[in-house]
Amino acid sequence: MSSTAAISITDLHKTFGSNEVLKGVSLLAHPGDVVSILGSSGSGKSTLLRCINLLEIPTSGNISINGEPLKLEKNRYGDLQPVEPKQITKIRSKLSMVFQSFNLWSHMTIIENIIEAPIHVLKKNKAQAIEEAMKLLNKVGIAEKAHCYPGELSGGQQQRVAIARALAMEPDALLFDEPTSALDPELVNEVLQVMRQLANEGRTMIVVTHEMGFAREVSDQVIFLHEGKIEEQGTPDKVFDNPDSERFKQFLSSGL
Amino acid sequence: MFEYLSYGDSGFGDELLAGSLLTIELALVSLVVGIFLGLLTAAAKLSKNRFYKAIAHLYTEVVRGIPEMLVVLVVFFGTSVLIQTIAEWFDYSDYIEVNAFVAGVFALGMVFGAFSSEVFRGAFLAVPKGQLEAATACGMSHWQVFHRIRLPQMWRFAIPGLGNLWMVLLKDTSLISIIALDELLRWSKVAAETTKQPFTFYIAAACIYLVLTIFSDVIRNYFETKANRGIAPHA
Repeated sequence: MSSTAAISITDLHKTFGSNEVLKGVSLLAHPGDVVSILGSSGSGKSTLLRCINLLEIPTSGNISINGEPLKLEKNRYGDLQPVEPKQITKIRSKLSMVFQSFNLWSHMTIIENIIEAPIHVLKKNKAQAIEEAMKLLNKVGIAEKAHCYPGELSGGQQQRVAIARALAMEPDALLFDEPTSALDPELVNEVLQVMRQLANEGRTMIVVTHEMGFAREVSDQVIFLHEGKIEEQGTPDKVFDNPDSERFKQFLSSGL
Repeated sequence: MFEYLSYGDSGFGDELLAGSLLTIELALVSLVVGIFLGLLTAAAKLSKNRFYKAIAHLYTEVVRGIPEMLVVLVVFFGTSVLIQTIAEWFDYSDYIEVNAFVAGVFALGMVFGAFSSEVFRGAFLAVPKGQLEAATACGMSHWQVFHRIRLPQMWRFAIPGLGNLWMVLLKDTSLISIIALDELLRWSKVAAETTKQPFTFYIAAACIYLVLTIFSDVIRNYFETKANRGIAPHA
């Protein structure tokens, strides 16, 4: 394929103490791809996502974002650390993250949450940031709550705000870390609906999820992680209809 | 009884008022110094640098372990010995008086700083980690995460504890009377001894302290509501 990969990861390892959580994971996402990462808890799927935007620094391996390799070097303890801290903040601002527990800033109103990083990281002027934020709030269907505080919103509404906050950074790719796992069942759909819309717009998305139906419907690629390794990988049709891995078959039949 | 409390030459009303103002001034300046020391010490305790940590813990342990009155005496006489010694290096041997107000502020600020550092440390740790992570994930720098997300939210956890410490500080200003600063308690004592009406003047002083602490509570409430905006809208 000729186009530059949006996200390219090769042979990623991550160790916490003596516990090796990722044991050589590679992943390639082209612009516009939706990649779903499945796996039971402890399989390393969240850690993988957190390594992509460097909330965790990998123990070894290579990460490239839009063809730009992340420069890591070994420090005196033998751990990797960034060569240029500036590169990390730049990469992070290009990869927006949506968290399981929303993590909206509770001392700011919804609109303030959304304009915070565009103003202070992207250095946009306030009027422009507000105008764009209102468009995004309309898009996620929550504009009337612009001046409420996060604590006054339901979980589903908070997660939609978090998605708007992520979009406000005009990211190259969106990273979702179990975005519906903390929601009451009746609120899951409103969030999936927004995510489906983003996928249809051709956004690059990496989604860690337990929502099998969603993964099957919107993904270009599905990855099943087990104990820090990729156990099954491919298009949703292939993976769900003809899985090679016995473990993945068990995982599917367990209903999770 | 009230003629003793009248304003002017015949009573001690004006002296008590002046003493009250000095008490307030002393408490407020000490509060500013104390908050600054407390924040700095809390930051040192939370830092990864072992040396800063050790210094911060040593300071807290020592100051918290000594009675406030002794801290006042040690600071007052300690600084005067220190300044005298330094002056003698420069062949200056006249007696230099340490300003009682400055010594008082320094002593009370040190005490407030030691106690409040623990309040601040707890408050910083109470800000949800996920919110800091979300800020980091947006590409904010360490400093931005600190002053845009962590610091503003820290206050809502710190204010109740700081309110308590402020009450203690306000009353501890009376200890400064022992180094001859004319604050409220000292004037009350002078008035009591001059007029032989100790009960009248000590009750008057008690009432003034009580008014100040009640008023403080109103102000604390205001700040607490402000710091909690968005968190507990119906509380």
